[in-house]
Amino acid sequence: MNLTPVQFVAIPLFAAFLIPIVAKISKEAVKYIPGIVFLYLAYVAFTLFPKALEKPIVEIIAGFKPPFGIVLYFGPTAAFLVSMVMVVGFVIWLYSFKFIIREPSEKYYMLFMMLITGATGIMLTGDVFNLFVFFEITAIAAYSLTAFLRDKDGAEAAFKYLLIGSFSSTFFLLAIALIYSNTHTLNMADLAVKMQNVDVTTKLFILILFISGLGIESELFPLNGWAPDAYSQAPTPVAAVFAGIVVKASLYALLRLVFLMFNWSEVFYLLLVLGVITMLVGEMSAMRQHQIKRMLAFSSIGQMGLIVIAFSIATVPSLQAGFFQMVNHVLIKSLLFFSAGYLVFHSGSKDISALDGLGKEKPITSFFFAFGALAILGLPPFSGFWGKMFILMAAGNSHLLLVVVLILISGIIEAVYYLRVISRLYFYKETTKEVRRTPVSGLVAMGILTVLIIILGLYPNTILAYLKPAANDLLHRTEYINAVLGQIHL
Amino acid sequence: MFSISGIFITTFVSGLVAFLLHHSVPKIRDWFSIVIMGVIVYAVWELPVKANLLSFKLANYNLVFGNTEYGRLFALIVAVLGFFAILYSKDFMEGKPRLGYFYMAFFFSIGGMFGIVYSQDLISLFFFWEIMTWSSFLLVIYCCKEAQKIGLKYFVFSAIGAYSIMTAMVVLYSSIGSLQFADVFAGFGKMDFWSQLLVVVLLLMGFGVKSATMPLHVWAPGAYRITPSSFTAIFSGALSKMGIFGIGLTLFKIASATGFYPWVQEILAWIGALTALFATFYAVFATDAKTLLAYSSIGQLGYIVTGLAIGTPLSIAAALFLTVMHAIFKGMLFLATGAVYYRTGTTDMTKVSGLIRKMPYTFLTALFGIITVSGVPPLAGFSGKWMLYESLIQSNHYFLVVVIFFSSTAAFLYLYRYIFSLFLGQEEKETENVKEVPWLMRIPMLLLALATLVFGVAPGLLLHPVSAAMKYLGDFGVTYQTSVLFNEWGNKVDMLTVANTIGVVFIIVTIIITIKGYRSTRYVTTKDIHTSGEVPTENENLTYAVDFYKPFERALGSVLKASVDKIYNATGRILEQSFDYLRYVYTGNGQTYAMYVVLFLTILVVFSELIFGIKL
Amino acid sequence: MIFYVTSILVILIGIYAVLVKKNLIKIVIGLSIVDSGVNLLLISIGYVKHGTAPIFSRPDLTAAQMVDPVPQALVLTAIVIGLGVTAVALALVIRLYDHHKTMDINKIRKLKW
Repeated sequence: MNLTPVQFVAIPLFAAFLIPIVAKISKEAVKYIPGIVFLYLAYVAFTLFPKALEKPIVEIIAGFKPPFGIVLYFGPTAAFLVSMVMVVGFVIWLYSFKFIIREPSEKYYMLFMMLITGATGIMLTGDVFNLFVFFEITAIAAYSLTAFLRDKDGAEAAFKYLLIGSFSSTFFLLAIALIYSNTHTLNMADLAVKMQNVDVTTKLFILILFISGLGIESELFPLNGWAPDAYSQAPTPVAAVFAGIVVKASLYALLRLVFLMFNWSEVFYLLLVLGVITMLVGEMSAMRQHQIKRMLAFSSIGQMGLIVIAFSIATVPSLQAGFFQMVNHVLIKSLLFFSAGYLVFHSGSKDISALDGLGKEKPITSFFFAFGALAILGLPPFSGFWGKMFILMAAGNSHLLLVVVLILISGIIEAVYYLRVISRLYFYKETTKEVRRTPVSGLVAMGILTVLIIILGLYPNTILAYLKPAANDLLHRTEYINAVLGQIHL
Repeated sequence: MFSISGIFITTFVSGLVAFLLHHSVPKIRDWFSIVIMGVIVYAVWELPVKANLLSFKLANYNLVFGNTEYGRLFALIVAVLGFFAILYSKDFMEGKPRLGYFYMAFFFSIGGMFGIVYSQDLISLFFFWEIMTWSSFLLVIYCCKEAQKIGLKYFVFSAIGAYSIMTAMVVLYSSIGSLQFADVFAGFGKMDFWSQLLVVVLLLMGFGVKSATMPLHVWAPGAYRITPSSFTAIFSGALSKMGIFGIGLTLFKIASATGFYPWVQEILAWIGALTALFATFYAVFATDAKTLLAYSSIGQLGYIVTGLAIGTPLSIAAALFLTVMHAIFKGMLFLATGAVYYRTGTTDMTKVSGLIRKMPYTFLTALFGIITVSGVPPLAGFSGKWMLYESLIQSNHYFLVVVIFFSSTAAFLYLYRYIFSLFLGQEEKETENVKEVPWLMRIPMLLLALATLVFGVAPGLLLHPVSAAMKYLGDFGVTYQTSVLFNEWGNKVDMLTVANTIGVVFIIVTIIITIKGYRSTRYVTTKDIHTSGEVPTENENLTYAVDFYKPFERALGSVLKASVDKIYNATGRILEQSFDYLRYVYTGNGQTYAMYVVLFLTILVVFSELIFGIKL
Repeated sequence: MIFYVTSILVILIGIYAVLVKKNLIKIVIGLSIVDSGVNLLLISIGYVKHGTAPIFSRPDLTAAQMVDPVPQALVLTAIVIGLGVTAVALALVIRLYDHHKTMDINKIRKLKW
């Protein structure tokens, strides 16, 4: 079979519709479908990756040539992000394998596959309206997954998410309307060229709409009101999906659009400020949280701030650092959510104070949490160290010493609240109840993440070679434009 | 075997293996660790001195490791003290929980320290610095619930220190473009004044946290008190020396070519002296033996910092000499205190007393320890202190001499209290059945005690590696020979004859007094000392150790109450409280969040000229 | 021009409802109104005065006389998406009512800070 990027969108979509049908026949079989999909797509992604590094793969859908038809652009950035999504998706599936309880699993997997469709679509598409559609697919799947447990709080969180999310899509659609009325094209590469002729005021308004719209899903402060609720009330694997896939996809969309059309230094300055504020507010709010998952949610916001900072410095090393930190955050935060999920499950309460002494009751899961906590603090020899280091060095090279200091201060705040949880896990109660086991699939999922974190920590070169082309691809739009439009200019 | 990577791999892998052994075959865990540590000591000793032993490229940075004389001195401190501590741990830690965790963190922190002293670039230095920090943090919180707050404080201060170093690295990297020592040393002079100043201050701050220099010392008393004594020996003896290592590196290698150098040194010297002074006061009023030793440690490190900061050949020699001495005697004292804890279960000086008969070897160690600390000949502390005073006088720092001499004298107060409360005085009922500690714990203590004697009699033995280390720091030419103490005798061989006499006399007198005194001692009861007509009841506490220095406390109490620690705690509380208010931004009402979104959009539109420079 | 003004007005009315109304159903209605406003805007972009459907039904028809077909396609998609979102929103409102026995958004704020 010929491997093409369109499979990244088509196969999960197909799987999403296949799942309810298969469920009629066998409920057990449904569980394996996402795993197979992820394995296959990971294989496709890794096969196509070297080709994308040589020359971006541009796939034309339904025979309409750009700028008229929809194209999928599989460049180094997309290749990198999609590979990341597939690996993390696989781990999340592994973790979900035994975790989904009470609710029928086919619904969960169907929504999960829809979400993956949307997220990969966002990463691949070269058409701005198509981007909107994928965005909405992701969002609707995410709203539903947030409320998946049918509990009181889940519904509340999902409604808030939907409320804010609707604003996001409205702004996005308004921006598209403005774009189309001024340029009469929706192809992103074509837009990048034609937007230069649009008058500055309109352009600015479009930009503001994009930042507000996509900033909501990228968890920028003050647009991230939905995030702590959704993270803390969604089922644990879904929280990992949010942190690892949804937010990263929308941040990518924002960055891609900004780098293509609004390459002004003021924009990056604004993003930098927003990133710093997001980081600080996230970390500060996490400090005194009472619920472990809510704490992780705020920590996630803080980390997103850090990533936004890295990207808004807008140099090749900083973008590289941003991508590296993305990977870090995906791996580590998933590990933390995973382990916290079982800790919460077994302590029977979401409160941090209920975690006392769980280190003895659930030694392996607690170990994973402690490991993740040390990793996210940026301590060597875990991968978090390099991510932080790269960002700091990149910021230093752009003479942003204040940003460096603020990042480090937020690191100290982070240390305080994470270490408090570790203390509780291991040292607050010495009595031992019986040891309770975590399902093997969950442990394997966490084990994979742990190994990846260690590998990246000891040998960051493993992925660094791929990050430089990715950074170049995102930073320099000419390559993108040529790759997409070059075909018609022949 | 004796490659630098071999040392790293052995140390870190042994940590993991010890952890696994604890969970599979706990019997061989201790001996395994001891043997490995022994091998490491040998490897560190044999490792050839060469600036570039191992280099590779990791994540676009060149990482270089090498063995310099300077690093070797510190590596030997770490290795030898580590070996003694682990020997001591076998019995000391027996039966405690989480031993796998203990050994793992132990090896990791040792490995981290090796990494620091062997690294030839700032990235790997920082990498291992952080490993050392978190593994020692794990040992601080090792014991119990009450250690958690102390551990957090330790970690926060360590993080402040580490991040200062990190910021300095960022500044250096952005202006030099490389973080290898060779490039940094060469390129530093070309940076502009403010960057230079920033880098130096940040580095000194960062390293100063680990060497517990005031006002960044507040983590130390608690952390030293709460860690298991076998690790406290390392903590105070070796880990704090990493700060000294860094300060030396900063002052003499990185900042050596700069103009503002003298006054930075002057300030640092004063900080060191004041650290010594105040730490001594606090030590005098400590009631816990380990807290006392912790403050003593802070004070001694203050001397070392002053010595380094003065920057004359003799003062650096004194500082490095004291560094080694401090590792030895503070190791001894913490091990001895640990021995007391091992048998009595407490280190509270008001609760334990009169152990001299029960634990003679421990007493001997402690005695040697305090003699060394106070710098009385013939033990090794004397030479170090002498050189320090002399260098201060030579370089016309008369006020500093006064301060340091004063705090050094005041140190007698707490040292006397230490040995009196624990070992002398009346025996307590509770300690009736106390025995001397096992041999495996005695050996390290006695060997360290022997070392103080040997280095005291023949300081040249130690001054050779010290002056070799100084050659790395800079071309100081003649070093310790400039001292009045040494130029007559040249080096170690001639010193021996003179010192031997003192030593032999001392030993003979000690033996005679001991034998004679031992025969004529008589068991003293409570009534013997205290009855002036009244017969005290059983439960009346007549121990001297309570309110030992009450008069002094009355005199100085108000000064000491205003501690920096309280300021830090208050700052922390206020910050946390304000963070707590901040999270009220997330009101929980979906409409408020929607309002934020609309407001955000409006602000961007209204202030577009301000933000984007374009009017909408 | 009137199209733009009208659609912006509709959007603002919708936003007003979302931000001010306390009833969950009214908020959802507000979201729908916003959606409609945006759709109206999109449609009006492609409008050509006295234009016809973009189908070559008569041979003399030129492209200039046709309305732009792309916004219409976009609006169709947007309507479908809006419908989906509204459906999810209403489902959530039902569940919220089940749990909280109230429609007042101010009373549904257990998750905060």
